[in-house]
Amino acid sequence: MKNKKKIGEIAFEEYIGKLERIVHKLEEGELTLDESVKAYEEGMNISKICLEKLNKTKKKIEQLVIKGEENYSTKPFSKKEGESKINEL
Amino acid sequence: MESKIYTVSKLNKYIKKIFENDFNLQDIWILGEISNFKLHSSGHMYFVLKDKESQIRCVMFRGNNYNLRFMPGDGMKVKVRGDVSVYEKRGEYQLYVKEIIEAGKGELYLAFERLKVKLKDEGLFSEEIKKKLPLIPHNIAVITSPTGAAIRDVITISLRRFPNLSILVVPSLVQGASAAREIAKKIDFLNRFFKELDFIIIGRGGGSLEELWAFNEEILARSIYSSKIPIVSAVGHETDFTISDFVADLRVPTPSAAAEMTIPDKNNLINNLSLLKSKISRAVKRNIELKTEKLNIASRSLKYQGPENKINQYYQYIDEFNTRLSSRIKHKVELYEEKIKKDSQRLGSLNPWAVIERGYSICRKIPGKEIIKRLNQIEVGTKIEVIISDGRILSKVEKKEAVSN
Repeated sequence: MKNKKKIGEIAFEEYIGKLERIVHKLEEGELTLDESVKAYEEGMNISKICLEKLNKTKKKIEQLVIKGEENYSTKPFSKKEGESKINEL
Repeated sequence: MESKIYTVSKLNKYIKKIFENDFNLQDIWILGEISNFKLHSSGHMYFVLKDKESQIRCVMFRGNNYNLRFMPGDGMKVKVRGDVSVYEKRGEYQLYVKEIIEAGKGELYLAFERLKVKLKDEGLFSEEIKKKLPLIPHNIAVITSPTGAAIRDVITISLRRFPNLSILVVPSLVQGASAAREIAKKIDFLNRFFKELDFIIIGRGGGSLEELWAFNEEILARSIYSSKIPIVSAVGHETDFTISDFVADLRVPTPSAAAEMTIPDKNNLINNLSLLKSKISRAVKRNIELKTEKLNIASRSLKYQGPENKINQYYQYIDEFNTRLSSRIKHKVELYEEKIKKDSQRLGSLNPWAVIERGYSICRKIPGKEIIKRLNQIEVGTKIEVIISDGRILSKVEKKEAVSN
């Protein structure tokens, strides 16, 4: 499989997987109080990271303008019928 | 001289063998016009294929014709694929048809099939090289016509599902002779200058085979294959596949479906996240409650089994012991007192002095103070003392005289 993911960047689904494992471990009830507190902190931290990941991108609809082999610019996407619909969102 | 004589059936069998051993007659394509078409109730099709000068009988058995995409009819120009062989019963050779395509569409269809086989053999369709799309895309590009409904649908649906998404619209021709090359070039361009893209959707709305043809061309297939950025093929057609569909990392039936299937519903994700969070909180709270309960039980049982309780128990034991001990001693003392009393009484009655007082005396040898009870203890001349109540008498044995009783 070709993989372009940057090293060190953990995918959202892996974080969700981690959260699910924490829930599972906590629900088993085998953890000591210390471990529970640590798991809780880790869980809250991960869900914070997840939310950040969900919110990190800014809405942007742009159109690519290619100028030759090496140059390009972008401009706001301006398809008239499309625009009115997009602006309703 | 007699030449060899064959039966008719042997001859036909022999001829049939010759036909079947000739590869020029096996699995070949023939162009012609259908006439005399008959669909038998058995499901087999019989017809004649002809051109201006000649004709050949054809049969297409039910097992081969059930997936035909159209019903053949007289006058139709078609390409048929099949084997030439002999129907021995009638001694007629005929074409056993396996496939029929309409001649107009035939060129494209053949090209499609040839390319499909070629690219498949090269491994361009293999599942192992397909890249996974990230669950949360942030930056996506859409290569399509900027004026069609397709781009509008993609943008509308994508933003409804994930409102803060960055979409790069890459305008391109999507039909016509240069469309495939143009889309391919744009994929390459994005791979050079927009490496951060999570994936690229290429597509267009539905159309005829000719209109969708760009997505069946080799140049586009190769570009999709070599793209480092995952490609979603979204060509509007429900049933047939395009070559792009086979090569792409994900194939969806329409551009709208591309948005539905690749862009996650942000609300769902957030709800799911909240659910996990509250599950964690609840589990931790429960854990703490359980531990508190355990602590309470432990401290209760500690109190019960702890030193304070033990000491009190010992106190009580000691008290009890004391009571028991003192009553025992008292009893013993009383017993001794009783005994002493009795003994002293008995002792009093046994006191030899009391006896002597009454007139008895004790006779002892002088040396040794041995009390004389028998005659054989003394000799004549033995010095003795006789003890009486107020003193003693020193004397000497004069004579021994036994008493006979």
